[in-house]
Amino acid sequence: MIKQELKNIDELRILREPVEGEMLVNMGPQHPSTHGVLNFLLVTDGEVMHRAVPHIGYLHRGIEKLAEQTEYAGFMPFTDRIDYLAAMAANQAYAMAVEKLAGYVVPERAEFLRVIACELNRIASHLVATGSMAMDIGAVTPFIHWIREREYINEITEELCGSRLTYNYCRIGGVSHDLPATLAGKILLWLDHFEPIIDEFDRLITHNEIFVHRLADVCAISAQNATGYGLVGPNLRASGVDWDLRRDKPYSVYDRFDFNIVLGKGFRGAVGDSYDRFVVRVLEMRESCKILRQALVALPAGEIRSKVPRVIKPPVGETYAAVEAPRGELGYYVVSDGVSSKPYRVKIRTGSFTAMSIIESLSKGVMIADLVAIIGSLDVVAPEVDR
Amino acid sequence: MSVLEGMAVTFSWLFRRPYTVQWPDKIPEPLEKTLPATYRGLLEVDTRICTACLACEKACPIEVIAIEVDRNSETKERHIVRFDVDAAKCMYCGLCVEQCPTDAIHHTTLFAATTPDIGDLVLTFIKPGERALPFKPKDAPPAAIERGAITQALLDSRRGVE
Amino acid sequence: MWKLTQEFIHKFIPAFEHAWLAYIAGALVAALALLAFASLFAGLASYVERRIAGRIMSRVGPNRVGPQGLFQFVADGLKLVMKEDLVPAGADPILFRIAPYFVFAGMFGTFVVLPFGAHLVAADLDVGIFYLMAITSFVVLGIMLGGWSSNSKWSLFGGLRSAAQIISYEIPAGIALLSVAIFAGTLSTQGIINAQGGLPWDWFAFHSPFSLVAFVIYFIAALAEGNRTPFDLPEAESELVAGYCTEYSGFRFVVFFFAEWANLWIMSAISVLCFLGGWKIPFVNAPEAYSGWLWILLGFVIFSVKTLALVTVVMQLRWTLPRFRLDQMMNLCWKYLIPGAFAALLGTMTVMALFSWDSPAGIAIRFCTFLVGALVVLYYIWRIVANYRADSANYKKLTGQSMWYPPWRLP
Repeated sequence: MIKQELKNIDELRILREPVEGEMLVNMGPQHPSTHGVLNFLLVTDGEVMHRAVPHIGYLHRGIEKLAEQTEYAGFMPFTDRIDYLAAMAANQAYAMAVEKLAGYVVPERAEFLRVIACELNRIASHLVATGSMAMDIGAVTPFIHWIREREYINEITEELCGSRLTYNYCRIGGVSHDLPATLAGKILLWLDHFEPIIDEFDRLITHNEIFVHRLADVCAISAQNATGYGLVGPNLRASGVDWDLRRDKPYSVYDRFDFNIVLGKGFRGAVGDSYDRFVVRVLEMRESCKILRQALVALPAGEIRSKVPRVIKPPVGETYAAVEAPRGELGYYVVSDGVSSKPYRVKIRTGSFTAMSIIESLSKGVMIADLVAIIGSLDVVAPEVDR
Repeated sequence: MSVLEGMAVTFSWLFRRPYTVQWPDKIPEPLEKTLPATYRGLLEVDTRICTACLACEKACPIEVIAIEVDRNSETKERHIVRFDVDAAKCMYCGLCVEQCPTDAIHHTTLFAATTPDIGDLVLTFIKPGERALPFKPKDAPPAAIERGAITQALLDSRRGVE
Repeated sequence: MWKLTQEFIHKFIPAFEHAWLAYIAGALVAALALLAFASLFAGLASYVERRIAGRIMSRVGPNRVGPQGLFQFVADGLKLVMKEDLVPAGADPILFRIAPYFVFAGMFGTFVVLPFGAHLVAADLDVGIFYLMAITSFVVLGIMLGGWSSNSKWSLFGGLRSAAQIISYEIPAGIALLSVAIFAGTLSTQGIINAQGGLPWDWFAFHSPFSLVAFVIYFIAALAEGNRTPFDLPEAESELVAGYCTEYSGFRFVVFFFAEWANLWIMSAISVLCFLGGWKIPFVNAPEAYSGWLWILLGFVIFSVKTLALVTVVMQLRWTLPRFRLDQMMNLCWKYLIPGAFAALLGTMTVMALFSWDSPAGIAIRFCTFLVGALVVLYYIWRIVANYRADSANYKKLTGQSMWYPPWRLP
């Protein structure tokens, strides 16, 4: 493996000089359509690419190292920033990891509240993912409509926990704020408004012939390739692999809800192409609406936090806990040395990192306009890649 | 045809109410009053009810709060000499507010914190030279003031606004 | 129109008695008037598009600069003119500087033959339509020069894509206009309008189903010529920032900007005059009736209304449709539009040969085609109402306010 890396470094050095008949174009860190600061070095022959080499690290903030200097409970706000579009999932995964390590039990109402917040966050994240995919293809209007719907979700979470983007909602042992009945009513009213809006979005863009032809049959990823590269989340399910952590490794109270796992089945082209990934995300939003309705009805009374000490010192050990974030499996590997109140090591596994790794192999023979579609359809966000 | 359907959707939006809130001049009341009470805006400390337990200082993951308590060795009296909150570094996570037993430190609904110099954003709730007695449970609770008034007054004085 | 100007000048300024002097003076006056009109339209069109785009996206467009934001385009123009005059390092010094003016010339030259009213045309050339097709080809030159001389790979992409697009789409546009010329029997623009009537079923678009197809093909091809979505690959904002005009700033950018917006008017105006009856007033068909200035003014108003309606449709298309990829766009042109345009041409010729304009069969065909068009419009309106109703009740419950907020109620 080390020899492979060295070989790539040599290749990169050679890439710096232009080759006869090829163009070296830099799709730089500042670009309207790479989601965040990602850099791609494209070797193209006009419009058709030969290679696309990704360069990452522009958004590296050393969060995993910061974890070694922050107490367990104090690290929760940092987990928001790993993927600010799916902050609730990151919160929940970290809380689950530390609770497993220390042996705390979360009250039932807190579990339901975590599910409600996580599904709202899933809808919000998919709104951004599908909207920015539409925007990259050229239709600006659906993106702005989705940002408006996200504003409703932001207002709901603002009333719930005080913040619109970096929620810091989960605590070790429960959640931080309770859900008043008026807010539950508001969520239900919003769901009544939102589900027809998804239908309208479908009429506007999902079934639009131009949009379909832009995305169908573009970079179909087979199920074998998807599992080989370690793709997770909607990317994996769009290739036909039936794997969802909420059903296959149930955590929290997901086993009490009735929802479908959306699989890509070649809606307008090959199985696992970009259009499948798009439609899977839109359909997952509808499934999240279903889960939300069930959770709001079944919400039990009770406490929202169990008694945990002010300074948490878990016993010696290591654990891994993962949730099904909107971008796939978001997992925390926490190592504790039993003595200090700060973790010894926290390793974060994100879905966008593996999605980034497949882009280079997909990019042979593909046009630059399609590269933009691929990055959008794989839903790569820079903070998850670089942490 | 799907194009015609898309055009119909777009045209129907021309007749719908826009979502824009035209802040700050074309709204009926200031935005700070319409935000929910749980909103995590700028921090505010009511030093009259602070018990100087230092729980907020320990809870903050990035050491934004700086409190100095001076203990007179003869009279065994404690005075709070300094209570600084660096509003520029604060990430508004709310961990300090959760730990406070008397709700002395709390979030306000203020969000506009522009000052001419970044040093002005360090909110000094105990002015240099003053001392405050920590609150004791047997004391009578002081008169309630409007949430956000202390921080707003601090920021206004920094901006030179009366 | 320049004849009128000539007489005007003869009457009041006796010094201008020599014909060539009056000719040049008349030409200058006409050019300045057209330039003023085009600039005003370009600025206002950019403002109106931003307001319409805002309302489509559930927000408000610019509304701060001046009453309801009306002076936004003045502010934008002033800002751009006051910017630093950048020429990128390594850019070709001469080509970079002259590229915008090719685009401007290609676009502005078309205003000469556009008939704004019965006798309101700057120069009624005998080869009107042919001249239009020829002079819009200048734009390709300007875009390619701009893309190449910017010394940036992304600009080069934009320039080449645009060249391929414009050159390809001139063919279906030309063939569609050829069917117009065959119908009217003349290439001159005033002649084409005189061959049509005022009522919708007297327009060329509803002459037969083939001419309806020709109208649609011309409209799509004109969209592609003007680099408007869904054909805006050259300036694909999410890929190339601004394509061939990325490196331009200041006054040169104003020229590109102006050319793009004025092109909206041109493509709509050509569609209106060729297919939708131009300035003809319904029920007033005799050319002699158009000598009074009131009738001329009414004709101008009708022409403007029709053109503005089409301009609004073009603007709305931009905010609804995603853009094509390069090879899909080329496929569309060469595999679908060109055979379609040829079929429309042959069909129009056949219908013209078989059924004359006044025969009962001819009138019946025209009326039926008009009914088809009207049904499409009615279906469109029904879908608009259905889309609005799908959400209005839930919105009222969620926010407590009514959702009805028509565009004429300015915030």
